[in-house]
Amino acid sequence: MTLEKIVLKTEKTDCTGCRVCASGIEADNLKRAIARLNGVSKVKVDEITGKVTVEHDQEKIDFSKITERIEKLGYKVEILSRKQIQ
Amino acid sequence: MREHVKGVIQIALIGIFALAGGLVSGSQIAYTHEISVALTLIAVALGYPIYVHGIRSMLHGSVTAQLFATIAIFISVVAGIVLPQALASGTAAEVGYLTASSIVAFIILSGMTLEAYIIHRTRGALELLIKMSPKTARIRRDRAEVEIPVDQVKLGEIVLVKPGDRIPVDGIVISGHSTANQATITGESIPVEKTVGDHTFAGTINENGALEIKVEKIGEDTTLAHVIQLVEEAQEKKASIQNIADRFTTYFLPIMAVLSSAVFIASYFTLGFEIALARTVTVLLVACPCALSIAVPVAVAGTIGNASMNGIIIKGGTHIEKLKDVKLVAFDKTGTLTVGQPKVIGIKTFNKYSEEDAVKYAAIAEKFSEHPLSKAVLAKAAEMHLKVPDPADFKTIPGQGVMANYNRKQILIGRKMMENVISEEVVAFMSQVESEGKTAIPVALDKNVVGVLVVADTVRENSLEAIQRLKSIGVKTVMITGDNLLTAKAIAQQVGVDEYHAELLPEQKVAIINDLKSNYVIAMVGDGVNDAPALANSDVGLAMGAAGSDVAVETADVALLGDDLTKVEYTISLSRKAFGKMKGNIVYAFIWNVVALSLAAFGVLSPVLAVILAEAGCISVVVNSALLLLNKPKAFVKKRAL
Repeated sequence: MTLEKIVLKTEKTDCTGCRVCASGIEADNLKRAIARLNGVSKVKVDEITGKVTVEHDQEKIDFSKITERIEKLGYKVEILSRKQIQ
Repeated sequence: MREHVKGVIQIALIGIFALAGGLVSGSQIAYTHEISVALTLIAVALGYPIYVHGIRSMLHGSVTAQLFATIAIFISVVAGIVLPQALASGTAAEVGYLTASSIVAFIILSGMTLEAYIIHRTRGALELLIKMSPKTARIRRDRAEVEIPVDQVKLGEIVLVKPGDRIPVDGIVISGHSTANQATITGESIPVEKTVGDHTFAGTINENGALEIKVEKIGEDTTLAHVIQLVEEAQEKKASIQNIADRFTTYFLPIMAVLSSAVFIASYFTLGFEIALARTVTVLLVACPCALSIAVPVAVAGTIGNASMNGIIIKGGTHIEKLKDVKLVAFDKTGTLTVGQPKVIGIKTFNKYSEEDAVKYAAIAEKFSEHPLSKAVLAKAAEMHLKVPDPADFKTIPGQGVMANYNRKQILIGRKMMENVISEEVVAFMSQVESEGKTAIPVALDKNVVGVLVVADTVRENSLEAIQRLKSIGVKTVMITGDNLLTAKAIAQQVGVDEYHAELLPEQKVAIINDLKSNYVIAMVGDGVNDAPALANSDVGLAMGAAGSDVAVETADVALLGDDLTKVEYTISLSRKAFGKMKGNIVYAFIWNVVALSLAAFGVLSPVLAVILAEAGCISVVVNSALLLLNKPKAFVKKRAL
């Protein structure tokens, strides 16, 4: 198992400025979608800053699969950091 | 759920501090003003999600009610501290600015939480699907049964599923017999038989027998996981009507800036500073851009959620818009309007033989044949509970028929095998059958014709109903098929399509679709595998029976996971309704804003009343859209054949 911790900055590309984001629903959905990916062990989504922290097993899931999934959900993704933790 | 509880506690705290602040300011104790300011500031500060989102949305260049509310609350707090005696009222309600600001924060946050809750429930269909995925699986390892988390199950392992349990994986039954309720995937709650060789889907319920299932797909590769992913992504694909709402929202900020300044200046010179301030704050609070920006997304979420509960995956808001305009539906024949497998549908006997004899001898001869028709014969024998002994030997003559020996008798199958034994009566019957687009299989035993088996692909039991329902909502139906003209004609008459085109090659199907497209907005329904080009060329492609077929689910615009064709009409009707709501929501939100802003500008409203009005506007739009979830398809009542 090779655990990697990645920090991403996400931004909803088609934000309609409604209260869906404001109430944390978007963050909830994003978190759940990432958490369901096989090989992801920890997800944290900050609904206010859009910062996403993911811990995943590199042997089970490639980093790109995670960002791909986030992008598919309508977010722009920017990588802030990647770090091997185990 | 935790989110909502947190929200409610926060709201309650704001309420308590706001109330305390209000009570203190009216009392006679020392430092009244200071204490009231402190309490109010705490109440207002607790409304921080409003300001965070207001300011963040501004940085992103979008406008939200939170932004206006932030400005209004800020002005009120400053006014309350600087002018403790001023009353925040356009007209009637006489409360100080401090109290007003905390009440406003209280109402807005309550509104936000309520909306969030409703939207959350609107997306609840997705939540339901996710809950359907079992967390653990019982597997056989080292000859022992162990229960392990489902993500540790490996491909090819054997999963044991007890009656009443949810099946944790996509796989193939290797032992046991049961029925499964596949409503999770197909939306159809009538149980489906599961026996050795059948495929199972993760998330469906094993009903009455124990099953051993060999794992074929796990985790995010299962059909259920695909469905969840698609529904998640579908909600993010904007309908173009959203652009109308977005355009209004974009103009909101400049309009509001101009309007609030105008109100302030006009009132300042005519009615004085205090009234000007009150009216400006009211104008900022009554604006409800949220109702506009939320009008479409919630309706889309409601529609997609409703559809997914009925085994229909609509892959985005754009398709809802196309579906509502559909005036013609083209159907593929084989496997769509029909079951796609030939079946013995009639037996005519000759020379005093019984139906059992005809089927039995045909089955003996066909027992080891690879011909597609032999499957139909053997299925019929099984259905009639006939024992089919092995033939002593058999020979298939391509293009002619089968010759087999059994019990020292010779069985012949196929017209060309028995040219000289076939009677005129038999020939007449066979021509009659063939003119109806069916296949006639004569069976002879030692030069005597035993009978003729009539084989045809059968129409699905709900095809007729599906076509009728489409007609009842004013949609034309067309059948396109590669099959021969006779068969096509027979099927077209049975299901009642308006028009049919037969003997088409795949590229000709596309040509017909393009031709039809020039006159109508068309939807094409197919199995998504061999008619993929036609599906892709239509305005909306619907793949049916898509559960388990990744290609179909991926390529179609709409995937019908079950094989209930009446869902085609439901999909169109639901989309029409949804679009009506979206349009209605936008118009309603627009009028609401114009009326409320006018009332506020002329001082009819107080800030507190304004914010109540704004929240009501927003919530009514959300509720209206969320009601789409309650739509239900008309049940298809099975009619017993014969």
